[in-house]
Amino acid sequence: MRPLRNILLGLAVSLILSGATTGVERFPPPDFTETDHVIPSPTSPGPRQDVYEYIDAVVLLVALGLASYLVLKKRNRRAILTLTVFSLLYFGFWRKGCVCSIGALQNIVFSIFDPDYAVPIVVVVFFLLPLIFTLFFGRTFCAAVCPLGAIQDLVLARPVSVPVWAENGLRLLAYVYLALAVLFAATGSAFVICRYDPFISIFRLSGSLNILILGGCLLLIGMFVGRPYCRFLCPYGVILRQLSRLSKWRVTITPDECIQCRLCEDSCPFGAIRKPAVQWPAQEYYVAKKRLALLLLLLPVLVFFGGWAGSGLKGVTSKAHETVRLAEQIYLEETGQTEEVTDASTGFRATGQQIKELYEQASNIRAKFEFGGWILGGFIGLVIGLKLIGLSVWRQRTDYETDRAGCLACGRCYKYCPREHVRLKKMKEVAGKW
Amino acid sequence: MVANSHNNSAKEIVQVTSSRYRCAVAAAVISAVFCVVVCAFMFMNHGRSKMVGTAEETTLADLRLEIRSDPDNEQLLSRIRQFDMQVRQQRIRAIDRARKGSYLLLGSVVVLIISLRLAISFKTKSPSPEPGTDQLIEQVKKAKFARWAVTSGLLILALGSLFLATRPEIDFAKASAADTASFNMEDVAKNWASFRGPNGAGISTHTNVPTRWNGKTSEGILWKTQVPLPGNNSPVVWGDRVFLSGADPNNRQVFCFDTSSGGLLWKGDVLGLPKGNEEPLEMMEETGFAAPTVATDGRRVYAIFPTGDIGCFDFKGKKVWEKNLGRPDSAYGYSSSLAMYQNLLLIQYDQGGVEDGISELIAIDGFSGRIVWQTKRPVGNSWSSPVVVNIGEQFQLLTCADPWVIAYNPAELDDIRRKIIQYQIELEALKKESDEASKERLINTEKQLDELKQQDTELWRANCLTGDIASSPIYANGLVFVIEPYSKLVAIKADGKGDVTETHIAWVSEEGGPDICSPISNGESIFLLATEGLLECYNVSDGKRLWEKDLEEYFMASPSLVGNKLYLLSDKGIMFIAEVGSEYKELAKCELGEKCHASPAFADGRIYIRGVDNLYCIGSSN
Repeated sequence: MRPLRNILLGLAVSLILSGATTGVERFPPPDFTETDHVIPSPTSPGPRQDVYEYIDAVVLLVALGLASYLVLKKRNRRAILTLTVFSLLYFGFWRKGCVCSIGALQNIVFSIFDPDYAVPIVVVVFFLLPLIFTLFFGRTFCAAVCPLGAIQDLVLARPVSVPVWAENGLRLLAYVYLALAVLFAATGSAFVICRYDPFISIFRLSGSLNILILGGCLLLIGMFVGRPYCRFLCPYGVILRQLSRLSKWRVTITPDECIQCRLCEDSCPFGAIRKPAVQWPAQEYYVAKKRLALLLLLLPVLVFFGGWAGSGLKGVTSKAHETVRLAEQIYLEETGQTEEVTDASTGFRATGQQIKELYEQASNIRAKFEFGGWILGGFIGLVIGLKLIGLSVWRQRTDYETDRAGCLACGRCYKYCPREHVRLKKMKEVAGKW
Repeated sequence: MVANSHNNSAKEIVQVTSSRYRCAVAAAVISAVFCVVVCAFMFMNHGRSKMVGTAEETTLADLRLEIRSDPDNEQLLSRIRQFDMQVRQQRIRAIDRARKGSYLLLGSVVVLIISLRLAISFKTKSPSPEPGTDQLIEQVKKAKFARWAVTSGLLILALGSLFLATRPEIDFAKASAADTASFNMEDVAKNWASFRGPNGAGISTHTNVPTRWNGKTSEGILWKTQVPLPGNNSPVVWGDRVFLSGADPNNRQVFCFDTSSGGLLWKGDVLGLPKGNEEPLEMMEETGFAAPTVATDGRRVYAIFPTGDIGCFDFKGKKVWEKNLGRPDSAYGYSSSLAMYQNLLLIQYDQGGVEDGISELIAIDGFSGRIVWQTKRPVGNSWSSPVVVNIGEQFQLLTCADPWVIAYNPAELDDIRRKIIQYQIELEALKKESDEASKERLINTEKQLDELKQQDTELWRANCLTGDIASSPIYANGLVFVIEPYSKLVAIKADGKGDVTETHIAWVSEEGGPDICSPISNGESIFLLATEGLLECYNVSDGKRLWEKDLEEYFMASPSLVGNKLYLLSDKGIMFIAEVGSEYKELAKCELGEKCHASPAFADGRIYIRGVDNLYCIGSSN
């Protein structure tokens, strides 16, 4: 693992080199002046002029600022909803979902591990800006700016409450997804977040049928289970969750004091409201203490065995790399285990490259996956251990609060709070307790 | 009054809300139905657009094949354009429908969602929390269940990892060390991959071969299957497949048969490019339009025809590539069979007279069909086939023609092949560049490529033959044997370098020699079989003739050796089986009942014989 200074150096070099990404057309296409034929774009979405990318970055900045203002200062759900619709239309349908902050994570990781890759400045902006805003203002990016969150938020019709145990179990998927996305990006294998973006086919009104079906299913589920992708799958959300715990300002249900009226208990479709917990349950104290001690001792064991299991998966994870897949195909052809040939194997043989060289390359790549597997598995082990520890620690709470990490800052809970109605002068303040 | 007024207002509000709710529900239902209908149409459209092989596309494909043999047919061209336009229009209409459908679907989904949300908002109840639940116990219980859920997740991940990690994976380090080349000599030895089998020697590595059969009574005949087109090439066997080629003046095909049933698995056309004003090829009846035997490397099968067309097919019958080397100038019709080394296809393309200087040895990359090396041969046209033999620790490619017997180094050819392909790819990339540095690199690369192509890979050569050379060379016991028809048998030591005419000719026997059949040797004796039926036996060490026997039959197929038995297939389809010894000793005579010109192929417990009309599999059902 590279030391921190190398990572910072890589980021700095990426920022400088991203200026080199402006390219000129070296082989201009023919001019069909007689027939006025328009050559279709080979890529989807097609490349855009540089200036639009900078406009997009400015729009992102403005949207984040506006979202933070609307969530924390104005506390206006309708305005947040309007911004959500705008973000969906602009970042989703207009920009066709690319570049998005979630996928930008992979570009950053790839640029750190591949010195030949210059990440564009806009991608860096899309990656960093939401993180910075989250650090200060909580998950306002998720509230009204992320197009994936926006589309799920808008289809939410009849939310049902997800049991806490299911919420905690399913959330592990996001950590696994993040670890795999980083591993594959670091090894230059694949950008899986982009490849399996469930809503990209909807934003582009074309694309893989499988992805369209996946997106459709998630939206169908999202009509009843609030934001399933954001809560259980989003790899960028994992980072946002941790930063949100440290945020200077955050969403509060009440604008001033909580009067424990309990009216907001079921107001959050995302299960992000924490009820008061004033007393330590005495009968559980001894058992909980023992459990906590055991989990703390188990934590390094989980990290080690997780790493060991992750490294053992190198045979499977390395298949994500095209060189390893090619080497396996060539091996099967050479040993007569398959009679099928692929375009890749045919193309390889046409190059005249030695098969031994290909095997060596594949072997080296697999070694990288073995090392990466240690880190991936160790990370998952750490996450699980910390989660178990977190579920064993009792936190005292006097008021109804939003979960620092899980609150998506949508503002739905505001209208349930009588203190909010007082603030908006829709209700008169009544002296004494409710 | 006031209370009544309040009640009336409340009733009005409820009525208005109720009617709005009904409107919202109605809008939701209508838009939902609309969504379903649009989805159904889009799925149908998607399914239809994914369909391949529509009537128009099939017709178009057939027309495209037809135009190759008649490129100037305007009517045909017009029909092709018409069907092409129809197919394109179909596809474009499907894309257009999909695009419009997606906009309709998006719009209807938006309406559906808005109306659903409105409907739900009209029915939303105010929050009314239940009194009196014990929060502490509930939260403790929830935390406990959550811990169990996370632990279950951990177990699922652990089990999944264990399952995936224990799956077998390819060890590239071992594979690299084992050097799994596609041309594995052990596999080649087990199969009959080219003309006269391993090393082109005509010797079967399997000794459990039948010694008795009768074509008339079908005794010992496992199956017999008609070959669609005629040819004099020999069967080639790899695993459970037998390959042949066949041709007539207008068609050239490669056939693949199943060894267990004789069923025709596939046939592939080698049509060649339109020849323009080239005159139709005329061939001698004895040679035919498909004389050269095909070759296989276990992954692909290659065939060459007297028109200069070469085709390559995979084992499923899919054509991989096809090319044309130009029609060879061959007096009796081109009939040299193909040879293989690693991924190289080796073609002895002898043509014209010695003085014409147009004979060549051509090496083609088997996977891509690229010509990677070719060299002029100082010989006239010949009808013998090149053979790749393992001599000591080195492979030699043996060729013979008038006047030279030349041995090449195929391993060096293979090395050159790799380098040439890399240079060719580099050249293609450099040609697109326009800067000065690239132009200079282009010139240097072209020079290096030329030097590589001219690199001499000859091992040795001997000037010892004249006339129409049709018998192929063989190697046995340190010596290469070649035949000058009706004249002599020459034995050349195979360890020479350069021109070995004066130094490495071990002996020459001038007792005569066959004009067509190639010799066979067990290392001690060498056997020659003349077309008229004279079988001669010579001593390998000194060339002394040991005995001769007139079999009183005509022979065009070369003799074969199985253990210590000679297999000699006559023109009438009679197999003479004789014991190798100090004199001719006939063991059996098996009649096929059909004329045969091609040499047989041998496999495990089987013999494959091509008659003029049918392919036979001789063997036992056990």
